[in-house]
Amino acid sequence: MKRSAEKTKHTFVHFLVYALGFLLVWEWLRPIPVVTNTGDIEVFVLFALFSFLMIFMKIPLYVMIPLLFAGSIYAIHLVFGEGSFLTREGGGASIRLFFEDVAYNFSLIASWNLEVLTDPFRTLLVLLLLSLVAYLIYFWIFHIKRIFFFLFATVVYVAVLDTFTAVDASMAIVRIVVIGFFLVSLLHMLSVQAKERKIGRRSASFMSTAWLYSLVFMILAATTVGYAAPKMEPQWSDPVPAFERWVTGEGTGSGGGIRRVGYGDNDERLGGGFVQDENPVFYAETDQPGYWRGESKHEYTGHGWVSEPDYRESETVYGEAVNYRMYTGDVETTAHTASLEMVEGAGFPNLFYPGQITALNTDGMTLTVNGDASDVTPQFYTDVVGGEVTSRTAAEDDDIRLTSYSVDYGYPSFDISSLELEEPQDPDFITGRFLQLPDELPERVVELAEEITEDADNRYEMAVAVEQYFRQNDFEYATSGIPVPEEGQDYVDQFLFESRIGYCDNYSTSMAVLLRAVDVPTRWVKGFTDGEPVETLDDDRQRYEVTNGNAHSWVEVYFPETGWVPFEPTQGFNNNVDFTQETEDVDVNSEDDQDQADIDRPDMPLEEDMMAPDDSDIDEGGAGAGGGGTGTGLSAGDWLSPKPILISIVALVLVMIMYEKKHRILNRYFLFHYKLFGNDARFTNAYHRALWLLDNEGIPRAEGETLREYARRVDHITGTMAMGRLTERYERMTYGGREEERNWREDKASWEELVNSLKF
Amino acid sequence: MEKRTEESAVTQPFVDKIINNVEKVVVGKREEIELSLIAMLSGGHVLLEDVPGVGKTMMVRAIAKSLGADFKRIQFTPDLLPSDVTGVSVYNQQTMDFVFRKGPIMSNVVLADEINRTSPKTQAALLEALEEGSVTTDGETRELNKPFFVMATQNPIEYGGTYPLPEAQLDRFLFKFKIGYPTRHEELEVLNRVEKRHPIEDLEEVLTLEELLGMQKDVLDVYVDETVKTYIISLVNNTRKHHAVYLGASPRASIALMKAGQAYAYMQGRDYVVPDDIKYLAPYALSHRVLLSSDAKLSNLTNDRVVKDIVAQVTVPVKKEAFK
Repeated sequence: MKRSAEKTKHTFVHFLVYALGFLLVWEWLRPIPVVTNTGDIEVFVLFALFSFLMIFMKIPLYVMIPLLFAGSIYAIHLVFGEGSFLTREGGGASIRLFFEDVAYNFSLIASWNLEVLTDPFRTLLVLLLLSLVAYLIYFWIFHIKRIFFFLFATVVYVAVLDTFTAVDASMAIVRIVVIGFFLVSLLHMLSVQAKERKIGRRSASFMSTAWLYSLVFMILAATTVGYAAPKMEPQWSDPVPAFERWVTGEGTGSGGGIRRVGYGDNDERLGGGFVQDENPVFYAETDQPGYWRGESKHEYTGHGWVSEPDYRESETVYGEAVNYRMYTGDVETTAHTASLEMVEGAGFPNLFYPGQITALNTDGMTLTVNGDASDVTPQFYTDVVGGEVTSRTAAEDDDIRLTSYSVDYGYPSFDISSLELEEPQDPDFITGRFLQLPDELPERVVELAEEITEDADNRYEMAVAVEQYFRQNDFEYATSGIPVPEEGQDYVDQFLFESRIGYCDNYSTSMAVLLRAVDVPTRWVKGFTDGEPVETLDDDRQRYEVTNGNAHSWVEVYFPETGWVPFEPTQGFNNNVDFTQETEDVDVNSEDDQDQADIDRPDMPLEEDMMAPDDSDIDEGGAGAGGGGTGTGLSAGDWLSPKPILISIVALVLVMIMYEKKHRILNRYFLFHYKLFGNDARFTNAYHRALWLLDNEGIPRAEGETLREYARRVDHITGTMAMGRLTERYERMTYGGREEERNWREDKASWEELVNSLKF
Repeated sequence: MEKRTEESAVTQPFVDKIINNVEKVVVGKREEIELSLIAMLSGGHVLLEDVPGVGKTMMVRAIAKSLGADFKRIQFTPDLLPSDVTGVSVYNQQTMDFVFRKGPIMSNVVLADEINRTSPKTQAALLEALEEGSVTTDGETRELNKPFFVMATQNPIEYGGTYPLPEAQLDRFLFKFKIGYPTRHEELEVLNRVEKRHPIEDLEEVLTLEELLGMQKDVLDVYVDETVKTYIISLVNNTRKHHAVYLGASPRASIALMKAGQAYAYMQGRDYVVPDDIKYLAPYALSHRVLLSSDAKLSNLTNDRVVKDIVAQVTVPVKKEAFK
C-alpha cells in the first residue's frame, strides 16, 4: 500500500521550502564559531548543503550513504588534512587516518570513554548529526508538513545565544522571522494543495501567485514595521547573571595541526611574510594536548613586543612550591604528564608545557651545552612576569639546550561565571605592566576597541567580542604578502585598518592591543600549537609531532579571580581551553599573583638564541613566533563535547522513528482505549475516531464524498470489509435515527479489524 | 449524466418486479427505468431530452402495462390546443347539455411527446396539470387520475422549430435525463427480441394501481434525518452561489430532491434516506433547474457539469456531536 504523499512530485515550491529549511539550519551553525571557538564553519555549512541536496533529490540510500561518507571524509580532510585531496599524500593520508581514527574511536565509545575521542571523529559525529538534521527537516517539511516547532526552536536558540553569549543575533532574528514566515506559509500552501490533490481536485502543487504576492507584501510590511518601529528599553533588570551559570554552553577548544615557521625570541619588529617549514622540532607524549607555552611578553612598542623578565631561581622545577602561578586556586585543573623529545639539532633552554607547570622530572632529562651532550645539572629560573621557565649553567655564555624532559602540568578548565565579574579589580602590578600601550598608538585603534566591546557587559564578553571580531569580519589569513610596517607606522594599526591580512602575530598582537585600549590587561604569548598526533600509545596517551610550522602566538587575558586565560584570535586556530560552568573548588596550593609580584629575585638575562633551525626564518620574515599555515589548519572537532553529540544522534534517530511510527502508536493507543472504554453509547465516537485515524493515515475523506463511498474506498485500500460494516451501522444510527440499534460487541470487532489493517 | 458504476441495489419486491417486467421490453436501460419509477413513486414527473426512436415510448408503455394503468400519448404539434390536452366540453344535443370529453391527460400514465414543439399556451396547460394534479376547463376543476405520471420528451434545443420550455416550467419536472442510444450489444438484443413479435404485446400486469398507491404512501413514511436534510439544503444552496449560475434552484428543488430520496431509499428496501441517495439523485433533479450565466455558456460549461461540480464540493455531513 502506498501512501499518497509519497507519490507527490517535488516542484519548485518544494525546493524553495526545503531551501528555506536549509537557511534555518544555517542559522544554527552561524553562531557556533562565536560561542565555541570552532574554526571555520564553512565546511559544516557546505556539508549540510550537500546532505540537503542529496536528500531532496531522493537519491536512493545505497548511493546516498556512500556519497555522504565520502563527503564526510572530504570534509574531514578539509579540516584536518593537508595538501590536495586527490593526491596520495593528501587525500590518501586523510582516508587512511580516517579509518584508523574511526576504529580507534569506536573502541573508545565501546568503553564509554568519551572525553578522549579525537577531533576528526568528533567532526565526523557532527557531520553525521548534520545529515540527520537534513533528513529531519525533509521529514518535517514534506511528511509532517509542519515546521513551526523547528522555527520556534531556532528563535529560542538564537535568542538564548544573544542573551547569554557574545553572539549578536539582532540580524539573525530578522532573518529567521523572514525565513520563518515564508516557510510556514508556503508549507501551509503546499499542505492545502496536497489535500486538494488527494481528493482529486488538483493534479500538482504550484506556486499560487495570489499567495506569493500577499506573502511578499505582508512579510515586507511586517519586517519594515518591526524594524522601524520604536522599541522600548528593557523593562526588567537583566536576568542574565542569575541564569548564566546554567545556560552558557561548555566550550572545548580543539587543536588541529597548525604549521608555524618556528620559534625565536626576538619579537621587536613584527611583520612581513615567511617561508613555511614543516621540519619537526620535537615529539611530545601526553594524554592532554594543549598549546605548548614558552614565554610571554608584555610591552608593545608599536612594532613588536619586548619584555622585562623577572627571573627567580627555582630549586628543582618545581617539587614543592611553584614559583609562578598562571591561575588562582579557584581554577580547576587536571594533572597530566608530558614527555618532550627534541629532534636532532633542535632544543631550547626554556621549557614548553601546556597549562600550569607543576613539576619537572629531572630524571632522564638530557641537554646539550654548546652543542655537546652534557650531564651537568642546570639551574632553572622562572620569569614571574611572563611565566617562562628556563635553564642556565654556571657559565653565563653557555648555549644550553634541553633535548628531552618530562613535565607535570595542570590543565585548566575555566569556569565562565567566575570570568564574568561585573567590576574586576586588578592588582597594581597587573595594571602597571599589562595595560601598557605606546603613546603613538593611533586614536582610531582605541575607537575601534570601544566599538567592538560596546555591547559586552564584562571582561569575558569583551575578550570574546574582540576574539570574534577577526572571524566575523573580512580578515584574511595568509603567511605571505604581509606588509612590514613603515617607519612610524603602527603594526596593529596597519593590520586593522589597512592590510587586514596576516598570521598569528598580527591577530594576537592586535587582540592584545585592542583589549588594552579598553583597560583589559593582556599579554602576548609565544609557543607551539598542540602538533599532529602521529601515534597512539597506551593509557590514552598520544605522541604528537610538533614542527616549526606549529610555532604560534596568542593572547592571555587577566581575570582577577582566575588568573591568565588564553584566547585565540587567529582565524582557523583553536586553543584547547576548557570553559565550563562548574564552580567546584579544587584545592591547589596557590600563591596569590600579588605574592608573586612581591617576591624579589635577581633578573636573569634572556638567552639570545633559543633555537637554531629557526634562525633563517627570523631573518627572512622578521617573524619571531611566526604564524603559518596552508589553510589546512581549520580545526573544528569538538565544539560540542562528544557525549551530547552522541546523545543527540540517538535522540534524533529515536524521534525520527517515533515520527515514522506515530500513526502506529496512535492507532495502538486508540485500539487500547476503545478496548477498555468502548461501549454502545460510544459507537458514534469510535466511528468518528476511525475517520480521524484514517485521515491521519493519509486516506482522508474527500469533499463531497459520502460515508458509503468512502467506506468502499477504505475497504478497497485496507483489503477488509470492516469500514463498510461500521459505516452501515453508523448510517442506520445517524441517518436512520435508530439510536437503539447499537451493538458494540459486534462493532468492536470491525473497529479493531479496521484499525489493525492500517499498517503501512 | 454519468452512469452509475455499480449494480442497482433495488430490493423492494414490488418495484423489483416492475423493473424486471419492463426490462423484458426495454434493453439495458435499468437505470432509466428506476429513475422513472422513483418519479412515479414520489408523485413526480420526468422530462426526457432525447432524439426519437430510442425507446421512450416503449419504456413508458411497458411501465403502464406492468401496472395495468391507463396509458395515453400526446403528440405535441405546433397547432395543438390546450383543450386537446385537457379535454373539452361539447354540447350533446340529445341530453341538451354540455358533456365533458376527457382529454388524453385524464389518464394514469401519459407520454407527452416533443413537448417543446407546441405553443407556450398548450405547454402551460399541461404543466399546470402536472403541478396541481387537476385541470380547470370551463370554470370547472377536475381532479386527475391517481396515480398520475407524465413522461415528457423534448427535442434537443438546437433543433429548429421549437418553443423552448421556460425555466419556470422545467421546474415542474422532478427529473430530467436522457435515455441515449443502446450499445451494439444491446441493440442486437433489441433486434432479437422484436424479430418475430414485439414483446410489449405479451407484457403482463404485475402490480395493481392500488398497490402502487399504497407504495406511494409508504414512501412518505421513509425517514429523512436532519443531517440528510441539511445536506439537501447545502446542495441546493450551492447552486445559487455557484459562480457560473445565473439563477439557482428553488426550494421546490429541495422538496423534490427529498421526495425523490425517499422513493429511492424505499426502492432499496430502506426506511431512511442516506446521503448517497441524495448524491446520486441530485444531478437528475437539479441540473434542469439551474440557469447558467451567459459567460458560463460561452465557456462551454453545461448544467450537468456545474451540478456535478457542486455535488463534488459539498461536504457530506456526519453527526454534529463529533468530537474534537
